[in-house]
Amino acid sequence: MHLDRREFLRKSICAALGGVSLYSALGNLKLMAAATSNYSFADYKALVCVFLYGGNDGLNMIVPYDAAHYAQYRSLRAQIALAQSTVQANAFNAAPGDGGQYGAHPALGDQTASGGNAGLRTLFNAGKAAIVANVGTLIYPITGAQFRAGSVPVPPSLFSHADQQPQWQTARPDDLTVGGWGGRVADLLAGANTGSLPMVVSTSNNNVFERGDTVSPYCVDPGGVSQMSYLGGGEAWIATGNDPDSAAAYKALIAQGTQAHVLERAFADKSRLATANADLLIAALNPVPPLPALRTAFPDTGLGNQLRMVAQMIRVRATLGMSRQVFFVSAGNYDTHSDQLANQQDNLSELSQALNAFYNATVELGVANGVTAFTASDFGRSFTSNSTGTDHGWGGHHFVVGGAVHGGSFYGTMPSLALNTDANPTANPDDTGYGQVVPTTSVDQYAATLASWFGIGAADLATIFPNLGRFATANLGFV
Amino acid sequence: MGMLGIVWEPLHKLLRSTRFNPKSGAPAVLGLRRQDAGANIRAANGPQGEPRMRRVILTCSHACSGSCAPATRELPSPATLVQRFLWRAVFVCGPFVCALGAAHATVDASAAGMIAPGPWISPSRTDAARFLAQATFGASDADIAHLQRVGYLGWINEQAAAAVSLEKPYLDWDSPTGDNNNQNPRREIWTINALGSPDPSRAGYPGNAHVDQLRQRMAFALSELFVVSDQNSGLSYQQWALGSYYDALAKDAFANYRTLLEDVTKHPAMGNYLSMIQNRKADASLNIHPDENYAREVLQLFSIGLTQLNADGTRQLDANGQPVPTYGQTTVRGFAAVFTGWNYTNVGCGPSTYNCCDADHYFDWGCAAIDYNSPRWQLPMQPIEAWHDSTSDKQLLNYPGVALANGVLVHGGDAQAEMTAALDNIFNHPNVGPFVGRQLIQRLVTSNPSPAYVARVAAVFNNNGSGVRGDLLAVLKAILLDAEARSIPPGAADSYGKLREPIIKFTHLWRAMAARSSSGRIDNFNTYPALQEWIGQAPLASGSVFNFFSPFFVQPGEPAQRGLKAPEFQILTDMYALNTPDRLYHEIFCNYSGSGDCWASDDPGTIQNNIQRDAALAMSNPGQLLDQYNLLFMSGQMSGYMRGVILDRINKITSGNRGASAGMFRVQHALYLILNSPEYSIQK
Repeated sequence: MHLDRREFLRKSICAALGGVSLYSALGNLKLMAAATSNYSFADYKALVCVFLYGGNDGLNMIVPYDAAHYAQYRSLRAQIALAQSTVQANAFNAAPGDGGQYGAHPALGDQTASGGNAGLRTLFNAGKAAIVANVGTLIYPITGAQFRAGSVPVPPSLFSHADQQPQWQTARPDDLTVGGWGGRVADLLAGANTGSLPMVVSTSNNNVFERGDTVSPYCVDPGGVSQMSYLGGGEAWIATGNDPDSAAAYKALIAQGTQAHVLERAFADKSRLATANADLLIAALNPVPPLPALRTAFPDTGLGNQLRMVAQMIRVRATLGMSRQVFFVSAGNYDTHSDQLANQQDNLSELSQALNAFYNATVELGVANGVTAFTASDFGRSFTSNSTGTDHGWGGHHFVVGGAVHGGSFYGTMPSLALNTDANPTANPDDTGYGQVVPTTSVDQYAATLASWFGIGAADLATIFPNLGRFATANLGFV
Repeated sequence: MGMLGIVWEPLHKLLRSTRFNPKSGAPAVLGLRRQDAGANIRAANGPQGEPRMRRVILTCSHACSGSCAPATRELPSPATLVQRFLWRAVFVCGPFVCALGAAHATVDASAAGMIAPGPWISPSRTDAARFLAQATFGASDADIAHLQRVGYLGWINEQAAAAVSLEKPYLDWDSPTGDNNNQNPRREIWTINALGSPDPSRAGYPGNAHVDQLRQRMAFALSELFVVSDQNSGLSYQQWALGSYYDALAKDAFANYRTLLEDVTKHPAMGNYLSMIQNRKADASLNIHPDENYAREVLQLFSIGLTQLNADGTRQLDANGQPVPTYGQTTVRGFAAVFTGWNYTNVGCGPSTYNCCDADHYFDWGCAAIDYNSPRWQLPMQPIEAWHDSTSDKQLLNYPGVALANGVLVHGGDAQAEMTAALDNIFNHPNVGPFVGRQLIQRLVTSNPSPAYVARVAAVFNNNGSGVRGDLLAVLKAILLDAEARSIPPGAADSYGKLREPIIKFTHLWRAMAARSSSGRIDNFNTYPALQEWIGQAPLASGSVFNFFSPFFVQPGEPAQRGLKAPEFQILTDMYALNTPDRLYHEIFCNYSGSGDCWASDDPGTIQNNIQRDAALAMSNPGQLLDQYNLLFMSGQMSGYMRGVILDRINKITSGNRGASAGMFRVQHALYLILNSPEYSIQK
């Protein structure tokens, strides 16, 4: 039934708009979404995807310090292992249930280079962050033995950035044409918002995660939004002031129905949307009298600035008419083939400090229970090292942060850290045979748990995540 | 592998100008107006005095040894008088006909393939402008006129012979002591070379403008295929590494792909970017395996891609309709093991300079490039055999006709020998031609080339007509001279072409408007925030090895519904859709000759558009101004609607409301509206 509705939606859009662009007008989409959505909400919720481009090394982010597990870890990661004492000094209050005790990479800990700031470990121990272990792209549940035997289908192009990024973002390794799961969620929920600003916002790039049938990411400059100079913003004083003739000419050139070429129409559509959305957001962020500055200080980093922009948009959610929003922020440089110890320190420090500030901002804004941030990444990295770095892997560990998160706990199953040797090449049951970690929790489960919290009903969950039923638990319970 | 013969005149005119005798009944020899490749075309005449052109015999000459046999083609017959007069034939030898045979050598102007409509020898002004949009960083009046004189092939041959413009000499000139670690001078010389403007670092300034537009445009396209980036922490201070890397791309732009592949592989910028430098053989006791980074990306991005391709670039599918992978993890491991044992060059090392890298100091901090302008950042990496895996057999690519048995490289070779074997193994994979060819077409001509177009270009990659595989100049000719490049296919009129890359909008503006700075430097791209944050692009500044945009990107909405790829749309986000016009606004309204209007407008390194050049015309005949810009910027493709909108806007600017600057103001508004218009933004 719900599949039919989605099919209907898809077809009716094509039929209704024909050769005219799908994104021809804000209003049309709004009406269409409303007409096909059963959702409305009295509360506010936001999902914030924090994508770590390059493939974060979860195995050096969440590290055992008990003697048995640490010894295994040490032999796996001889040249890039963190010191046992360092890990223990950053211990988590809870254990994952594999008999081991784990601590955080020091960059997630309370002690940072800038001195004493709280971070992800603090949030975990305070119950505001959860760790989901060994998540990865899957089509079916699979063990290391099954992988090595080739007896269970696996996602195509494993270990490739360009393929695993979209597979993580779609949760559909078997069909990348469907769009991202954030976008598909927004397709269903967009009608619940009364405002016209797109429900899916990126302070980063043009991602797959937020692409659906009817939505695509609205990319906002984390430094703020201003209207184009030629339309009266920015450097308008040089040429036009706020010259209505200039604005009229520009708008005539990008007007709907005045282009004869499909790519010209797509360019014009984007130009119109960008200016219209900028008008909405500028108005909301700059009311009279002006909003006071956020009290929460954000680090001046890539993620810090992006998450500050997200917090500012969340603050004006009522003005914008938003009851559900999906945000996408990202950081790069996680592809730590070399100099991993130094690079991951910088990366995780940025991540930890920015997420901590963001959580604090949601508390300041009184929406902590309505905002859930979660990490995602191309893949985890290999058990093995290549001396100073690690190579592309598969499963990896992730953080979920927010007031609604059932934090302070591990979810999922930690992978074995046993070392494969020539004598016993399958000593590690979770090793693909090439050093990558076979995931024990699928992206589907991870995503569906978040989408369920966000308000997607069970039947629609099955539509968005059609492979979910193949896995033991549809809801991991972390939020 | 030149072009054999080109005839682009109505036949009656052509025949009259030759020794053709319509009454003799013997084949006539048509002399070409321009001896592009010493070709002859013999046409058999009809019996009634009127040339019928029933048969055209194409005879190959010097550059077409071997596989290029004379080709005979029948015309549809009887051709009507009108048809006869409209027959326009082009015969292309070397890479085209020789490699492709009969399918593309018909004389039917409507046939797909080698027959491009429009004057070939003396292209019209609009055709010339259109060609220059594809082959250069933007048309200028002078270049249009010159191209009309020499013809497409003549122009390409001139370009192939032109001296290569490099970045390194400028960096050395800018900072003789090598202590400059920002990327500003590199962006300056990139822009100077892209514009072909006078170079203050070289002798003869200011009379020394660069003229190697085609090479520079190709180098830029290659820089978006073989990506390295100053956004990488290991390279963010290394302008000599990046400059010399870009120089390697420029030097190899017309060379062989195999040469390019090896130069890229061994360049220390790439060595750092994809961590092949100091890659080491496995050590089981430490659970260390060779680094797979370069191994994976050289296959996935630089050469063959993830799935098996047909000769026309379409994906091969297995019995279940699934794509066929080109390789698996075992192969990645094989290449990773091949690419072990490489480190910085030891040229220049020694007791009085810096430590040498040897077997005992492979990873040492001392074995790093300390100075930004050190040879270590510029010269090819060198092998250190002790760290090379010489003991394991390596699974490389396996494909029909592979030279290595089952694609396995048997152990024992030294680092260079194994690299040679491995790069040969990649180079000869059948995917390379369609994979690389399609992307180069996308960078220069159109986002959605027909499979037949890709196949023609790939065929030239596979064999340039002289039995040489990988000839990039031949590939470039095949791309630019193809019928699908020279004219818009009738069935694709509303989807052909590509979104112009934002950075090329700027170079186009500056070239068309003869922009100059007083010092010869070009600081305009040294922006804050960084250029890529304004417009989504900067030279060698991609956020990842996957370039600013993917060749497979699909823009949601109508392009997606139509099944079209639209790579450059990936960086047309809402943010850049506002920021790029604003940056263009700044260049147009702030930086005109003599301006002191804005911050840095009158800095010696700021190039300023010669707005005044056209100001008088803008007042006396604004319609003619727009016609001129229609040619320069839009190859004559501006719609009447667009022209009307802009004319209406600039006519509202008068000396009554803008005084003496009204003419310049008209020019500026016209430029702004054109450069940000949907019609201009799609290069067609």
